Amino acid sequence: MLPTYQSGSLNLVNRLAYLNQNPSRGDIVAIKLAGPHVLYVKRIIGLPGERISMTEGQVYVNGAPLIEPYVRNRKPWDVPEVTLTSREYFVVGDNRGMRVSDHDFGRVDVSRIVGRIVF
Amino acid sequence: MTRRLVVRVGVVLVLAALAAFAWRTRETGDKRAIRERIEALRTEVNASTRDGLGTAARSAQIGSYFTEDAIVELGGGSSIRGRATLMDMTARLQPRTAAFRLDLDDVGIEMMPGDVAADVILTASFVRRSSTGEESRDAREFALALVKTDGTWRISRITAIDTLR
Repeated sequence: MLPTYQSGSLNLVNRLAYLNQNPSRGDIVAIKLAGPHVLYVKRIIGLPGERISMTEGQVYVNGAPLIEPYVRNRKPWDVPEVTLTSREYFVVGDNRGMRVSDHDFGRVDVSRIVGRIVF
Repeated sequence: MTRRLVVRVGVVLVLAALAAFAWRTRETGDKRAIRERIEALRTEVNASTRDGLGTAARSAQIGSYFTEDAIVELGGGSSIRGRATLMDMTARLQPRTAAFRLDLDDVGIEMMPGDVAADVILTASFVRRSSTGEESRDAREFALALVKTDGTWRISRITAIDTLR
């Protein structure tokens, strides 16, 4: 999540953040793998039901470009359009200065979202 | 007197609650054996050749944790089939993998009916330390299928899970 969060830094996760509300676009969230001890930290750029794609590094939501001031390194990634289900969010890191194949991003089921990163 | 009785009843209730919790969270012998087996494999992988064993011996050790027809599916359509192939790859990759440390977290075990097969979900992290001492971690979720043959748990399949699709 560079440059927003440093690798290996200590972050606080609010596990109650989504008890009464759904995750929003722009939220930085913790995503569990097999359990709660190793987590991805990613930013939500796509909400359930939306169509997401990337062309030359520019993210498109339902065909409209998404303004992302938090992205500093931006390589010309191309990602074919995907349509999210009612339980899926699209997440990606802020550091997009590497090859697209070297970055973990994509659709995630809502059940894997542990909470929102507080700082 | 009454106060002493209340304290005693309280202590008994707390002990009963602790016993009930321990009973509910206990691991069966097979689950414990699987957990120890996976931990032993992790130790084996991390030992690399530092303990004096040659690459062939180390590969044979690692291979003993897998069934003859084991399949490792790494995602993206690539897979390794058979223990012999796996051992061969382990031997060839060992100089490179020695630079990594394997961590395993969140090991969840589900026994299949009959207690001779089990499904395991875990997070594997490959930790690499750079020359400046900074650690980078590449984590991946895996599903393992294990079978019990001749009293020993062995891995018959490893499948990489795409947490983000």
